[in-house]
Amino acid sequence: MRFPRRLLAANLYIALGLWAALATIVALIVVGVAIFGQVTESAWEKGSLAPRWYALFVGVGLITTFLPMYVAHGQTRRRFGVHAAITVTLMAPAVAAMITLGYLAERGIYHLVGWEQKLTRPHLFTEPTQLHLLFLEHLLELLTWMAAGTLIGAGFYRWQAGGLLTIPVGVGLVVLTQSAIGTELDLPIVDRVLRPDTPQPLGLVIGAGLLSFLIGLALAWTVVRDVPLQNKVS
Amino acid sequence: MRIDVENLVLRYGDTTAVDGLTFNLAGDKIYGLLGRSGSGKTSLLSVLAAFRRESAGSVRVNGQPVFENADVTRDIIMIRDGGETVKIGTAEDAVYFAEWLRPNWDGDYARSLMDRFELRPKAKVSEMSKGQQSAMGVVIGLASRAPLTIFDESYLGMDVPSRYAFYEAILADYMLHPRTIILSAHLIEEISSLLEEVVIIDRGRLVVHEETETLLSRGRAVTGPADRVDAFTSGFTVLGTRQLGPTKSTMVYGDLDQDQRRQAVEAGLELEPIAMQDLFVHLTGGPR
Repeated sequence: MRFPRRLLAANLYIALGLWAALATIVALIVVGVAIFGQVTESAWEKGSLAPRWYALFVGVGLITTFLPMYVAHGQTRRRFGVHAAITVTLMAPAVAAMITLGYLAERGIYHLVGWEQKLTRPHLFTEPTQLHLLFLEHLLELLTWMAAGTLIGAGFYRWQAGGLLTIPVGVGLVVLTQSAIGTELDLPIVDRVLRPDTPQPLGLVIGAGLLSFLIGLALAWTVVRDVPLQNKVS
Repeated sequence: MRIDVENLVLRYGDTTAVDGLTFNLAGDKIYGLLGRSGSGKTSLLSVLAAFRRESAGSVRVNGQPVFENADVTRDIIMIRDGGETVKIGTAEDAVYFAEWLRPNWDGDYARSLMDRFELRPKAKVSEMSKGQQSAMGVVIGLASRAPLTIFDESYLGMDVPSRYAFYEAILADYMLHPRTIILSAHLIEEISSLLEEVVIIDRGRLVVHEETETLLSRGRAVTGPADRVDAFTSGFTVLGTRQLGPTKSTMVYGDLDQDQRRQAVEAGLELEPIAMQDLFVHLTGGPR
């Protein structure tokens, strides 16, 4: 089976563009704060909350845009499923690396200017210098959000409004991973009920993240394995 | 590619879109699939292209089932209004994926078609006019050179010159690269000259499957003095009549043998072919 290089490349190209845009926005905000006040904490920590939503839409887009394209180009759903899984599996570490790179760049700049890169949220890592934990946290988070996106995208593609029912399942997967990581959920409504703030042992975190990822992909596959392409009846 | 459709049924909930359809296409021809709105054309083609699974019966291409069969589906492309192959970004994005996923992709031909339809590679397909989106689908459909190429109402929004360019491109490419092409369209008169065989379906059932010449030979306009026209056509199925003064023209459906043709000539009547569109209206039950 061919490696999905073009599917991966197209998604990475967009991810790089969005990362550059995010870095620019964060930099502008930092400059603004520095001009009108005092920079006392990491801005990238807050900016790095955005990629999880991007990850969700990567998952949704894979199903709603690329699945129909694959089938219309004579590829089986099975082949798409494998290509999508490979793409998600490689996209997540790539984006996690971009986020990590953002922390590194911020650290360098803050160090030059003499600001403190203070963290204000609970994480797997306690210092931005713990790059392996920083990368791992975002990797697991992105894997889960992408898998949740594929599930929700599959639900809406197959059942239209009925896809709403997949949202709680997707949220459940995210809660499972983020509860283990111990980060704030930052999910509408859900974070009023659940407030995990204590990271679990590393093995449990990795297990929970991978479990969420695999459950999300497996459920998405059960929805799309024989899904009809939507059409107007004539 | 040979296509065998056997007792095909496709249901959407309580609605039966295709209802026990059986026919065979020998392949390597240009076929027309005609039917009224809601007749089941898109549903039938969706099963043929593995866009959806049949509810009952079977569809085989070159003797093999189609759904989730990569050996067969890689040789099939269906272009339709949904824009699955083109609405993924810019025109060049659509080409980027097509040349990767299509085994017989012809990039030079794709570029020449894009020039012909004046499609800008950097333009976002979803922001193009409807006609340009359709033209982009035509580019992907033709340049894929799939052994089974299906166009389902692929001309929507295209103006007349663009549609004619589409028909010319199909014919020219078919001559150079013979393959099985199925055209589904409502603009019957525009495409009828391209078609070697015609399949007409109505309410999900087969109405007729004939060679185009044979089908057209079944319809005749009988023109002459009204009383003689009435006498001659009395035993035929009449599709319609027009009268101007003493001259009447009646469209009839049915086979005319040599004797009947001779009788018409002797009676001073003219026998002329009628348009496929008129036959289609008759065969699908007239106005509804």
